[in-house]
Amino acid sequence: MLKRSLSLLLVCFIAATAMAQSRKEANLKAVFIYNFTRYIEWDSTSPGVNDFLIGIIGPSSVTTALMEIARTNRVGHKRIVIRRFDKPEDISTCHILFIPQNMPFSLASVLERTPKGVLTVGEANGFAKQGTAFNFIISRDKLKFEANLKSLFVAGLKVSSQLLKLAVIVD
Amino acid sequence: MQVFTSLIVLGLCFGIFIITDIRSYKLRKENDLLSLAQLLGTSNISAIEFQDNEAANASLADLQHMSDDIVHATIADKNGKLFARYKKPGVQIGEIPPSLSRRKSLFTDNRFYVASNIVSGNEVIGRIYIESELSELALIRRNKIEIAGILLVAAIILSFLIAVVIQTYISRRLLNLVNTMQNVSSTGNYDQKIANSGKDEISILVKEFNHLLEEVKLNQQRKDEFIGIASHELKTPLTSVKGYTELLNMIEDKQPNKQYVQKVLQNVIKLEKLIQDLLDVSKIQSGQLELTMKEFDVDQLIDETINSVQMITGTHSITRETTSGNVTISGDRQRIEQVLTNLLSNAIKYSPGENKVSVSSSKTDKEVIIKIRDYGMGVAKDERQTIFERFYRAKGTSITISGFGLGLYICRDIIKRHKGNIWVEEEGEKGSAFYFSLPLEQNGRIH
Repeated sequence: MLKRSLSLLLVCFIAATAMAQSRKEANLKAVFIYNFTRYIEWDSTSPGVNDFLIGIIGPSSVTTALMEIARTNRVGHKRIVIRRFDKPEDISTCHILFIPQNMPFSLASVLERTPKGVLTVGEANGFAKQGTAFNFIISRDKLKFEANLKSLFVAGLKVSSQLLKLAVIVD
Repeated sequence: MQVFTSLIVLGLCFGIFIITDIRSYKLRKENDLLSLAQLLGTSNISAIEFQDNEAANASLADLQHMSDDIVHATIADKNGKLFARYKKPGVQIGEIPPSLSRRKSLFTDNRFYVASNIVSGNEVIGRIYIESELSELALIRRNKIEIAGILLVAAIILSFLIAVVIQTYISRRLLNLVNTMQNVSSTGNYDQKIANSGKDEISILVKEFNHLLEEVKLNQQRKDEFIGIASHELKTPLTSVKGYTELLNMIEDKQPNKQYVQKVLQNVIKLEKLIQDLLDVSKIQSGQLELTMKEFDVDQLIDETINSVQMITGTHSITRETTSGNVTISGDRQRIEQVLTNLLSNAIKYSPGENKVSVSSSKTDKEVIIKIRDYGMGVAKDERQTIFERFYRAKGTSITISGFGLGLYICRDIIKRHKGNIWVEEEGEKGSAFYFSLPLEQNGRIH
């Protein structure tokens, strides 16, 4: 009885630690996404809205962290607004589109629906290769990001070399 | 002194020059390093924001190619935690001085630190520190001190040379002046003007000296003229006084009148002799003293003179010791007699309380030497030359013994005109001996 409860406690602890770690990672990703905005120039006419829009496909732990940032920060003079799209068909005009790891849709279907001028950010291995502009990876226990120059070019985004020098470039 | 002054001034100048130079070097270095720190900070903003310390390390590593002096650079995040660091290989790094968290630069003994905030937007996101060696500073310092040292030595040598040249120029002229002064005071010749040119202080001194000589010469001339005129004017009435007193002496028989007349006559003779001395001096000065050269017997003259002096003195007995054996010479008999009388009366005058004066004469191949010896106070060693000068009175005697101080001067002049010599020597324990020599051979004739 005692043994069982002890092992249960251990499982809970491990789960809690894992959760804490993933929350930390989610926070960092949110900060990175926010920091991207400093180094990328959007064609000011394209979204045609007064807010800075960040879209997220499906549920993600990053959403909460981004909401937190959105509450206290601005991009330039623009307020940050987080939008959640439940399926690819819902995707509308935004500045950044975050594509979480465990999204139930195919990446191609999402990218297909994504309009020009949107910075796509993924968080799964190989996403950048498949066409997202940026993609978070874990390299030697550190959060890094890949950049797909072609996608960036197609999207019509100007990225600062300061940012690109930190990115792992993929084709 | 000159050298010392220039040394101090130059030393100060070089000191300031070196300090200013080092300071400007430090300032330049500070500016350079601060710019570099700001540049590095800015280029690492993205690395900090994306927590990519590998990229930051890589960018700091580029410092190795930028400057050999930079030994260490550190980027800290906004919490002060180490974010990225560069170390020059093979260099030992100490801790960053804590005071750098507040200031932007710091000099220590051999290191120079700068620090700069890294700002993104309005937010300080980190701080960059750069540590640099000061190898150049030591080099600059050494170079500057070397240059200053060389210049200083050159300046010392130069100013020393200039000082030597100037001093020899000055002292040469001063020595010339001093020599002339000594010459003038020893010979009494006031015609030695110093050639003078230029307008500096020494020239003024020389000019004043020349002027002084002129004045002295003029005064001397006036005095001589005065002595000449005064003695002449005094002699004329005295001759008359003497004549009538002698007449009175002859016709007066009654006592005590005759005694009074004789006293007057004695003093008139004394006065006449003083005036005669003055007149002689005046003649000597103006070159009018002339000798009447005749042949005469020296020993006979000596005996006659002793007799006539002996008649006047009652205190001393004058003895004749040796004779030269009736030598005949050519000269002014009267003047030689004057010399003898003078020396004898001096001998008596300067040996009060004694009773003996001796005279001797001797003959060599060339001359006859006459010696008058007394047993009085003698003549001090340092006075043996000066007693023959005009108006010179032996020290300490001018109060007790009367006289003008002209006798020996006249004697010397007379003897000189006879091409002889006059001198004084110490003799025995007491007293002095005056010598004079007269040449036997004169005007090419042998006697």
